[in-house]
Amino acid sequence: MAAHSRGHPAMREREFSPAGTSPYWWIRPCAGPILFLSLLFLFLFLFTAAAASAAAPEEEKFTEELLLRPLPDRKALAHFHFRSSAPPAASVGRHHHLFPKAISQLVKKYHISELELSFTQGRWNYEQWGGFDPMSTNNAKPPGVELWAVFDLPLSEIDATWKNLTHTLSGLFCASINFLESSTAFSAPRWGFKLNEGNLRYGALPREAVCTENLTPWLKLLPCRDKAGIASLLYRPSIYKGYYHSQKLKLRSSQSLGIILDQTLTVVLQPNTVSGEQLHSNHGQLQPNWSMRHLFNRKLSGKCLVSKSSRVFIEVDKGIVDNVNKSGSDLSWSNEFFVLSNSPDKLIKGQNHVEIQSSFLYVYDASNYTEEKPLDVGITWKLPLVWTCTPSPFHASRFLMGSGNERGSIALSFMSTNLHKQISGSPTDCSIKAVIFQVVPWYVKVYYHSLEIFIDGSRKTVSEVVDKIHVIPSEDKLLPGTLEMLLRFPCSMQSGTLTLDFDKGFLHIDEYPPDANQGFDIPSALVSFPEFSSARSYPEIDPVLGSPLLENFQEDSVVKSYTEVLLVPLTTPDFSMPYNVITFTCTVLALYFGSLLNALRRRIGEEERELKKTVVILKKWQLLASILYRKFVDELF
Amino acid sequence: MLAMAEIAGDEAPTPPPPISGEVSTDPYTSTPASTGSNNPPLRTTKPGVKRLILTASVLLSFLVGLPFLLKSTEIHRSPLPSDAITALAHRLHSTPPSFPCGLHAVFLRSVPDRSDASLTRRLEQSISAQLQLLPATSTAGNVSVSVTVESAGGCSSSSSNVDSGWQCGTVTSADLVIGDEVFDELLHSALGSGGGDGSRVYTVVVVEVDDAEGMRIVVGKHRHAWVVGKADEVKAVSVIGKVFAKYFMNGGIEEGEAGIGKGEFMPVGSDGNVVLSFSLLNADPSDWVYDWDFEKIGERMLNPVVEALRPIAEINIESQVLYHTPKSSYSYSDDKLGGNVLSMGDIPFFVNSNEWHLDTSISATGRSKVLQFVVYIPSARECPLYLQLPDGRLSKTNAFISPMWGGVLIWNPPDCSLDSKKTHGTRKKMSSQELMETIEIFIGQLRQLFGLKPSYLSQNMDMPTKFVVSEKGFTEWELDLLYRHHARSNLLSCLTTLESLSSLVRSLPRMIVMDEIGRQVELSLEAANLAQGNATLGISDSSAVYATRARALAEDAFFHPSIMSISYASIEHYFAIYMPFFAPVSLHVLLAAIKELKRYKAERAKYSAFLASQATSS
Repeated sequence: MAAHSRGHPAMREREFSPAGTSPYWWIRPCAGPILFLSLLFLFLFLFTAAAASAAAPEEEKFTEELLLRPLPDRKALAHFHFRSSAPPAASVGRHHHLFPKAISQLVKKYHISELELSFTQGRWNYEQWGGFDPMSTNNAKPPGVELWAVFDLPLSEIDATWKNLTHTLSGLFCASINFLESSTAFSAPRWGFKLNEGNLRYGALPREAVCTENLTPWLKLLPCRDKAGIASLLYRPSIYKGYYHSQKLKLRSSQSLGIILDQTLTVVLQPNTVSGEQLHSNHGQLQPNWSMRHLFNRKLSGKCLVSKSSRVFIEVDKGIVDNVNKSGSDLSWSNEFFVLSNSPDKLIKGQNHVEIQSSFLYVYDASNYTEEKPLDVGITWKLPLVWTCTPSPFHASRFLMGSGNERGSIALSFMSTNLHKQISGSPTDCSIKAVIFQVVPWYVKVYYHSLEIFIDGSRKTVSEVVDKIHVIPSEDKLLPGTLEMLLRFPCSMQSGTLTLDFDKGFLHIDEYPPDANQGFDIPSALVSFPEFSSARSYPEIDPVLGSPLLENFQEDSVVKSYTEVLLVPLTTPDFSMPYNVITFTCTVLALYFGSLLNALRRRIGEEERELKKTVVILKKWQLLASILYRKFVDELF
Repeated sequence: MLAMAEIAGDEAPTPPPPISGEVSTDPYTSTPASTGSNNPPLRTTKPGVKRLILTASVLLSFLVGLPFLLKSTEIHRSPLPSDAITALAHRLHSTPPSFPCGLHAVFLRSVPDRSDASLTRRLEQSISAQLQLLPATSTAGNVSVSVTVESAGGCSSSSSNVDSGWQCGTVTSADLVIGDEVFDELLHSALGSGGGDGSRVYTVVVVEVDDAEGMRIVVGKHRHAWVVGKADEVKAVSVIGKVFAKYFMNGGIEEGEAGIGKGEFMPVGSDGNVVLSFSLLNADPSDWVYDWDFEKIGERMLNPVVEALRPIAEINIESQVLYHTPKSSYSYSDDKLGGNVLSMGDIPFFVNSNEWHLDTSISATGRSKVLQFVVYIPSARECPLYLQLPDGRLSKTNAFISPMWGGVLIWNPPDCSLDSKKTHGTRKKMSSQELMETIEIFIGQLRQLFGLKPSYLSQNMDMPTKFVVSEKGFTEWELDLLYRHHARSNLLSCLTTLESLSSLVRSLPRMIVMDEIGRQVELSLEAANLAQGNATLGISDSSAVYATRARALAEDAFFHPSIMSISYASIEHYFAIYMPFFAPVSLHVLLAAIKELKRYKAERAKYSAFLASQATSS
């Protein structure tokens, strides 16, 4: 929020500046008697400019952008970014021209000031695909569904509103987001996820499968859907074949801004090229050459006509830029390492937060291309190139320890990537802050006092490492456990591990999901490094360019990474058990009751006499039988 | 078991006490039996009843406990007032809700005339007789008639109970020159707050003008009409009766015509909400993109309509612009008509539900109704696009409605005939004039969706008839008509819902019925009774409000989540749970009781035989 409100007025000023400077240009050539006339002109001009600028923010806007980037492991990243914005107006939620009506009604009805919903399939590979750029910090999301929202409501009404919101979203996006309704499924972090005043709710469904039925309603929110413009590249078989697929919807709303809806789709694809045999190793071999047609099976034929701007970016990483610079050639679109298939309209240099030249962007304006002359931009490699993406300061991963269905422990491990050495030399007494945010369902009963911290193999006391900790313990069938922890690791640390013990709880028979034997998922933990910012800056960028995608990259955001989802097996009952128990107990009771009744009405003396009688009769029968037997034997022989 | 055996073992050697029961008596009975004689075994002591009482008491306690078990495993069912529902059904079927209303005929005589009570009474009787002849409508109840004759000489009214606020002397035939709209308002003020809260009074004023060449009827936008011309009494009476029956009671719908009161449905959600969703569809934005200023013009034009329909429905207005929305039926080009033509037969396939994402309204929650009004802008290829009527002519409005769904209007942009290359990909706005015309057509469609005539142009009365148009889209007498029909159809649908709920509950004896459902049913009945009560008083608008409430509550009860979601604990399930215990146990108890009873009878027979033998021997 803070970053946003800082950013926006600046943007508005930029929009006005060309109009503001031109009147001087009008005055100077004119002199003497014409001065009055020119003054009149000036007023007229100022008036019209003011009128135009007053009318300008009243319009709903839509922009579409696509960023393509080659990845070091022979894959390619495609990041679609669509922004629709509605100005603040009384008619929000009722009358719209470009902005999706459903979203504005949602914002209005639930008083949302911020919301983010992501559907993700696959896991972002932080080692290969980078962990220190805006793409990984903003668009790498945990598998399944993640939803968080900040409400502009009194604290007492938030939980009820959240529940209604989950139901609405689940209807809107054809997903089971309504499972986040139960109080066991969402939590209210205070600072570990995002600083707030208790009006943020966070929930995640790690097992939600993501497919086209979620994409179609998402596309429905775009004015051109996938009929025209950049979204027409979204050919389903290609984008769902990828290694990573994350579809996100981010909403920001306030009195001054109106509503801004950012829809992004991030996919990591294997370029569908002929040279399929060199898939797995990249030592001394060429990267695969690809173009849009290889990635999406589609070419871009023009923009969506109602969009304000429609651009395609090709980004080359810092690793490539360094290599090219080392070789001494310049970074034009055709250099000795690679060549782009079309000449770009513009070239933008990017810098990261420490003013280091980090990446290059080649910009193509999609409105210059038509059905007859479609855009099929691609990259062709001339020389083999090996590079790595900048990783985050620590590589975080999470795993389970222990065996059996009774107890276990969760371990979070941090492996240093020695990033601080590259950035800030190597002062040995420095420290790096890390924030952990983790939500654990109630049936995994974590004992927070059992927190143990090992740094480079030696055990440390909690107070040595933990600066701040906030725990909301879980309550059975009521609340999930939430852990927010601020840690301070020494820079020299190579590996650190945190462990927490837990007991596995028992669920009621009704609470088991359909496939209970598969195990239960613990949502991803979020590790963020507040001292590191992934923001990029583009000093040469034309302020009028107004690219929401680059604006997002410029936003100040801390480096973060999500850990793996954990799968905890729990004891699962025999689901026909209740009936078995009923039947079995009833039978035992009936047996007991029957025998008791029989015992009560038994006559022992009489029975004994009866027994004697039968013994006599039996003896007579035996006699008879033996006689008969003897006769039979006699007759035989 | 062991302990019993021990006790028995201990008992065996001891001499039996005389009254200690069967065990002790056995030696006596068995002695004769063991001797092997054919005599029936005798018993010297009275058979004991200890075990019999024991087994009987166990059986009895089971029998006593059974009702408690049934009670404790009973499913909670809130009692539904089925008697009240049947009573309501009976009442509605025997006497359908009818709204009494009044007809007040005013004769403005230009010639000074002596007007007396006998004249007014005669006129009153003849009008009443005339009304009897005309076909009655479903919702109209008793019509009370009163007549006022006003002339230069004075003013006399029939002493009827119709409370018309007619003030004599405020309107004269000279006022006619000021124009119909103004005269309409003048009459309205002359009538004052006619009717007030009570039953509706409709006024027909006959203005006698000597120099008129014929008769002319004007129906005002309030509850009155006037007839101008020279007419004799018989003619005037017949015109009054016709105007009243045809327009005020039936909305100008002829026999056999579709319209209000003929179909059952009103396009109103069962919770009384309607969303009017206006969409501008750009079939192919690559040719041209049009936008509109709906929020300003549309709101201004539609707000009076929303206000007028408030007793029937809570109306929300929304608008959106959609792109890439081709139609799904084919049109053919017709050079003679100068454009592409879509025949009536293709209209059912016009709405392309795959590509027209109209239904993106989340404000229409629950069971409220969304009426779609669509402006379709054809692409350059199919432009201009016309609708062709079955008789070969082109549709004047170029629009059509789909009942219960909404309406579609095809709007051919002004640059349609120009070369499409010139206008490639430009964004334009619909001019406000065109937008206003479009919305006017939509208001006509809304009237049609509610069952009224879109306009009364093609009415054949015997004489020229004019209608003063209300800026609300609906005139007051039309609204009365709507309220009446709405109240009636809502009451009937509320009744159907309640009846089916009660029969559903009766047919599923193990269905849980929450208290809330019972309460909703009671409230719904209460509202229905109020609606009916108001109907008999003739207060149509509040009757419509209560009828809407009754229907909404009945639907709430019927679609209560607890009814929808619960899988009922069936009787089989119930048996499956209790059978494993009760079947073996009750078998034991019953058998024990029967055995003991048999044995007791046998022993008693022995004893009585013994007594008898003793008696004979002694």
